[in-house]
Amino acid sequence: MTIDQLVQTTLGGLAIGCIYSLIALGISMIIRATDILHFAQGEMLMIGSMAGLSSFWLQGMPFWLVLLAGVLGGGLVSMLVEVVVYRTLRLRRVSAINIMIATLGVSIVLQNVARLVWGSEPLRYPTLFASGGVKFAGFTVSPQLIWIVLLSGLIMGVLILFFRFTRLGIAMQAAAQDPDVAQLMGISVDRTTTYTFAISGMMAGAAGVLLGSLFFASFNMGFLTGIKAFVAATLGGLGSIAGAMIGGLIFGLIETFSGTLISTAYKDAVGMVVLIAILLFMPTGLLTRGGREV
Amino acid sequence: MRSSLIARLGVALLLAAVPLLQSNAYWVHIFSLALIGVILAFSQQLLVGMAGIVSLGQGAFYGIGAYTAASLAISFHVPFVLAIVAGGLLAGLSSLLLIPIVRLKGSSLAVATLGFAIIVHLVMLNEDWLTGGSIGMIDIPAPTLFGFSLGGEKALYYICLITAAAVFLAFDRIAHSRFGRALTAISQDEEAARASGINIAVYKSKCFLVAAIASGIAGGLYAFHSRYLNPNDFDFQKSIDILIMVVIGGIRSLPGAALGAAIVVLIPELLRASGEFRLLLFGVMVIVFAGAGSKGLSGILVDLVKYIAQHGQRWLLQKPWTARL
Amino acid sequence: MSTLLDISGLSRRFGGLVAVGDVGMEVAAGSVHGLIGPNGAGKTTMLNLISGHLASSAGKIQFDGSDITRWPVDRRARFGIRRTFQNLRLFREMTVLENIMVGMHGQTHCEIWHALLRSPQQQAEETAITERAREALDFVGLAHLADMQAGALPYGSQRLVEIARAIVARPKLLLLDEPAAGLNGAESQRMVDLIRMIRASGVTVLLVEHHMDVVMPSCDCITVLNYGRRLANGSPAEIRAHPEVIKAYLGGRLKRRAKPTQSSQPEAAHASP
Repeated sequence: MTIDQLVQTTLGGLAIGCIYSLIALGISMIIRATDILHFAQGEMLMIGSMAGLSSFWLQGMPFWLVLLAGVLGGGLVSMLVEVVVYRTLRLRRVSAINIMIATLGVSIVLQNVARLVWGSEPLRYPTLFASGGVKFAGFTVSPQLIWIVLLSGLIMGVLILFFRFTRLGIAMQAAAQDPDVAQLMGISVDRTTTYTFAISGMMAGAAGVLLGSLFFASFNMGFLTGIKAFVAATLGGLGSIAGAMIGGLIFGLIETFSGTLISTAYKDAVGMVVLIAILLFMPTGLLTRGGREV
Repeated sequence: MRSSLIARLGVALLLAAVPLLQSNAYWVHIFSLALIGVILAFSQQLLVGMAGIVSLGQGAFYGIGAYTAASLAISFHVPFVLAIVAGGLLAGLSSLLLIPIVRLKGSSLAVATLGFAIIVHLVMLNEDWLTGGSIGMIDIPAPTLFGFSLGGEKALYYICLITAAAVFLAFDRIAHSRFGRALTAISQDEEAARASGINIAVYKSKCFLVAAIASGIAGGLYAFHSRYLNPNDFDFQKSIDILIMVVIGGIRSLPGAALGAAIVVLIPELLRASGEFRLLLFGVMVIVFAGAGSKGLSGILVDLVKYIAQHGQRWLLQKPWTARL
Repeated sequence: MSTLLDISGLSRRFGGLVAVGDVGMEVAAGSVHGLIGPNGAGKTTMLNLISGHLASSAGKIQFDGSDITRWPVDRRARFGIRRTFQNLRLFREMTVLENIMVGMHGQTHCEIWHALLRSPQQQAEETAITERAREALDFVGLAHLADMQAGALPYGSQRLVEIARAIVARPKLLLLDEPAAGLNGAESQRMVDLIRMIRASGVTVLLVEHHMDVVMPSCDCITVLNYGRRLANGSPAEIRAHPEVIKAYLGGRLKRRAKPTQSSQPEAAHASP
């Protein structure tokens, strides 16, 4: 591998890793707030991707509006699913296994709604970034990848600021850590849970636009990506915000490098082997304080 | 005891009569597929219903059984019964690969089995020399017994029915044994089960083993049923479908699992009329039945029958039409 | 009497906190041995170390001639150490009888294929298990509840089912973790009788309990823990008169007076000798 390839592969891995990070963050937030393993998180990515694409079709909107449409699309659908489905199930005291199955059902529904609306063929994404290469420290790199890394970093930075400095963010953290105490302090756990889903949907939606701009958008782009993001979240430590970010980056790098070095066909298998190894040898992931079981 | 025997015989007779009532070859083909699904659901019921293990990897064992049976039949002309048994055994053997992960819990274990399923699927897709790669396996010979071809849809249906019935009886016996009690105990309270002398890891591994054998046998049947294997028949989606079957039907019982399997296989067929909406409706049903709790559809039906029996009787006894006068 | 359980230098640390520190203790075969101490003294930790639910940080546990310090829970259970739990751990969705049948697991051997073939051996074993389970249920006085769902029973009965599940396999040592918690006076008295019956049937009992009206009449020997250390060891009469013990309990009571909590007051009342 030449040094140029190394730079290219690393950048590609970081970009795809950022996308995993964005979804993994949502999965981690949800599992922390509700103990739900959200198999439909990947569908929020798909919805975001489709919403962004549609907004582009409608008006030929500039890139930042396409991204905003994706964010809103993912956030709205995620919130809707929480309010309509998961909250109902929680109120009915349905067991964790069944809620997990329901998230699979939600995934099937969203995929098929998307297939009805947008068809089953992969859809080409418009060129949202300047094409061609830019010179960066002597290497020619794709500006698209750099944009993805920068934008994801920006979104995650905003999220951290939100958690640290806003009343709502602090309330959400409190409710996730100890719902009973939070309730006593006058925090509505139902509401913070809804926001948790909304925010994780928004991040997945953003990830959808970014992923779409790299390849294409299709109704079934979400599920496996969601599973991989779960792997990333597990890698970093389920339920940890920083863990999800770093887990996503590491997983993106592992996947991209094994695709280049080992075999394209088995790059997903390498990811799964990493997953199983992490579960076995570091069950709490790289970055968790205390062993919290899920 | 006696009434359950009568009920079982009744169901068996009814299922045996199905190809006579609906002799359309296409539908008999689908019914056989449903019976294969029933066996898969039994294997998942043992895991999730008895031991409380959510497996998202049964599709892998199903595929291993199918490819094993098909390879043996194509390359070595092994008789179909032996090929199917070998499929079950090899699937069981490969379940031993899961031994390291059985000590994981809950969703971690579920995702690890999903990872296993994804790896197995990729092997099927990419190892051309072993599995035919993305083309799959074609020209699987029709099953024959003592020189008679059993390749007709009806004959295949009865092969599937007999196998499903045998798996049912076997699992029913397992459920009411020391092994079954130990699994149930594990699912209810692992600490108390250990304190009663049960080695959790050993029992979970055995549970995976038995379930994998059943799934492998189902795969063997599928190979002879469809006579053509495509690796995408055994992707992780299949594993998820198998889990959905059991949850829809009710995780607590074998008949519930069978009902769920029938629904998962047949409803999309019945909904063909609704065209593109069928999978959408199916997804909605998954959510609704998952929301119905661990009873599933079978539990709801039983409750309904009880309710009608109880209230119907009271209604007759009270004769509200006279009381109101 | 010979020593059944011989513990020496047993310690368990949680991070920097020493829950049990360098505790030694001998339990004589055939006795009822009490383990008492104020809240947070490390009694339940001790019990978990003996049953194997917690791994020890240091020390040695010798049981019936074997060093079991590193054995996992299930192996200890099969070897003859059974327990109940402070907060009930029944198999809630199984019937009462099935719960107790699970208790026979370590004493039975039939494998899956026996069940598949319904071998005579399996049939005989099932009959024997059922019989033994009914006997155990009868022993604790709940024969009439055999087919009830365990989770549906009232609290007191659930405790008894747990005890039946633990003794059905005729263990060498029974660990009881606060069996009288939540029981009223009459029920506590019946618990004392039951503990005596268990002892009479040849099972050694290690009893962790707050209620002194249960501990004092049923124990042959008592070990007192305080802040994870062994404070005293002796007969109930000796313990009652032991100045250190009185101080530990009174001190505890005075502290609690200053900051009363609901749960500690009745306990302090029980503790006063």
